[in-house]
Amino acid sequence: MCRPQVPFSYGGAEIFTDMLVEELRERGHEAEIVSVPFKWYPGTRVLTQAFTWRLLDLTESDGRPIDMVVATKFPSYVVRHPEKRVWLVHQFRQAYELDRTALGQFGESPEDRAVRRKVQELDRVALGEASRLFATSGNVAGRLERSTGLVAEVLPHPAQALDYHDEGHGDFILSVNRLDRAKRVDMLIEAAALQPSLEVVVVGEGPDAERLRSLARERGVDGRVRFVGRVDRDELAHLYATCFASFYAPVDEDFGLGPYESFLSGKPVITATDAGGPLDVVHDGSTGRVVAPEPTAVAAAAVWLRDHRDEAVAYGRAGQAIAAEVTWDRAIGRLLS
Amino acid sequence: MKVAVFTPMPPERSGIADYSALLLPALRARSEVAVVKRGAKKPPRGTDLCVYHVGNNPEAHGWIVEALRRTPGLVVLHDFVLHHLVAGLTIGRRDGHGYLDAMEREGGVVGRLLGHAVLDKRIPPLWENRPEDFHLAGEVLGLATGLIVHSHYVHDRARAAGYAGPIWIVPHPAFPVPAVPSVEVAGEPLFGTFGNVNASKRVPQLLEAFARVRRGHPGSGLLLVGAASPGFDLDRRLQRLGLDDAGLVREGFVDEQRLWALMRACDVHLNLRSPTMGETSGTAIRALALGKPLVVSDVGWFSELPGDVALKVPVDDDEVATLVAALTLLATRPDVRAAMGAAALDLARREHDLDRVADRYVSAFEQSAGGAAVSDDVLRDVSRAAAEVGIEPGSVEASDIATRLGEVGLGG
Repeated sequence: MCRPQVPFSYGGAEIFTDMLVEELRERGHEAEIVSVPFKWYPGTRVLTQAFTWRLLDLTESDGRPIDMVVATKFPSYVVRHPEKRVWLVHQFRQAYELDRTALGQFGESPEDRAVRRKVQELDRVALGEASRLFATSGNVAGRLERSTGLVAEVLPHPAQALDYHDEGHGDFILSVNRLDRAKRVDMLIEAAALQPSLEVVVVGEGPDAERLRSLARERGVDGRVRFVGRVDRDELAHLYATCFASFYAPVDEDFGLGPYESFLSGKPVITATDAGGPLDVVHDGSTGRVVAPEPTAVAAAAVWLRDHRDEAVAYGRAGQAIAAEVTWDRAIGRLLS
Repeated sequence: MKVAVFTPMPPERSGIADYSALLLPALRARSEVAVVKRGAKKPPRGTDLCVYHVGNNPEAHGWIVEALRRTPGLVVLHDFVLHHLVAGLTIGRRDGHGYLDAMEREGGVVGRLLGHAVLDKRIPPLWENRPEDFHLAGEVLGLATGLIVHSHYVHDRARAAGYAGPIWIVPHPAFPVPAVPSVEVAGEPLFGTFGNVNASKRVPQLLEAFARVRRGHPGSGLLLVGAASPGFDLDRRLQRLGLDDAGLVREGFVDEQRLWALMRACDVHLNLRSPTMGETSGTAIRALALGKPLVVSDVGWFSELPGDVALKVPVDDDEVATLVAALTLLATRPDVRAAMGAAALDLARREHDLDRVADRYVSAFEQSAGGAAVSDDVLRDVSRAAAEVGIEPGSVEASDIATRLGEVGLGG
């Protein structure tokens, strides 16, 4: 398993690859993570760091052949191997859809523009070499096809193992996400401000936490919006089991495990029309509500799901059926076939 | 990033002027692009990249080559054969020596001697008779820091001519189809050919083939649209071939609106050509955008059209017979015409979409302007790291690193 590592940072991709290695080992495969530190700035460093992967020889280990490498995100897929599979979590988004946005990295100088193009060229070559190419969501696959012309099979990965269960239609809406701006938890807080009857529980920490807490205080909803920070697995399962729905609406998310966790607890999901990955499984009027990315729409959808218990339960069950299909057995079966 | 574009523009009557007029708004939406005033020799101050549109017409492109000589840059090579352009820039300006030098650069002593023969009027002008044998693209290639071409054919010819710089293949953009109604032209089916009427458009062969097809399909028509080239007398050609003008409809040069209306009226478009200068045909691109089946000569860019879009006629001894077979097939099989037309439309939308073409252009601009500096940076970084651990230049290890860099496009 090839994965880049930004030192001292551990997120969704790391959880995913750790789980995959564990699941492979459980099925009798010898699996190991190969990790190389990644620093993507300044200037051309992103390219030289990516190139480091190219110099690795992963064809053998101590005289024994390595049958396959599985790369996950930029730049780990620059690695060479005759049986290179890529299960794409995301490309280097600054070189693509984030370019010329507040989250972009490259300026307007000829050198910056050319570095961005080199990253794209690197992707075309390195991803084009893969013997099979998977993407974690339709959103990731779509971006890949638009940017490189390469077609990936959509292969979602299962949610983390929790004691998923359903204790019925609760009285609060749950948000489980890292607290940064792109996750748009503020939209849910604003929705609570618009709907005085709405109860919210926010799980997670992150760089946007303080701003969100201040926002809740300013809007006078800090009694109804509870920030519970990081919680352990049992507590998380309990929160999913007792909410009436979850809210998961990041901007153009790659994949998004949140909806799967919610569905496995039998709970529908509210997401936004521009949320990206979650839209693969959250369908309006079927497994949840897909609304415009604005607090009024979120508030209306939340109140509707709270007040329409039968529909909410039905949506949650429909989602559960989808999430139940996403198993490690199936995913690993396809990955290795 | 500031890009200065040297190109003919409307109202100049040139396919490349039309091309640039179509493309520039889409480029400006993506990059800071300025069109340089006709005749200017230098780009505006602060320009990061000069882009030169080079075609074979000396009136339209002579000043552009002169600017290229002063400031090398990215060349959009619309034609590979530039003999006519070079002749205009040399002989046309009483610079016979310049022409001889160009001929010698490409054809050695024999080329120089042939150049002398042209100057002495001992042989007909080579740019009219044998342009494909002496492309005379050498000077332009030598000045180009990168090339944008429209076909693999031109890419391969540039490489064969020794061009080692970066080349980007960017398809010709499809023209937006105006809402112009079709005009009534007799013919069921109606074949049409558009552009200058001359021998290199294979008009004599076409006339002969059409006459034969018409015997079996008396209702069919052939629309010939375009100005006749000097020295090409259509009536005399018909007379010489023993053909009458039955079924033949003739129009001279027409404006853009009339052109589209006539093109729309045709059931099948013919784009025959030999020799080819490596050009892409604007009328063929229009036909694709209209969803019309094509019959083309199996040469140059035309050979690269997919088989489900165009029937390709080799330029050989059987050219007329093959042409007859192609026209007969299309005359008798409206279902084939419909399928080819649908494939043509799909190709225009897929490969020749204006936004997609503009994206590829800007990608080439950005790689061309900053690519070398980026490659240098990467090489410096990697070389330094290699040197620090004792990997010597020229060693096996260094060679392996160079190979790996090359594999992923990071080589120098």
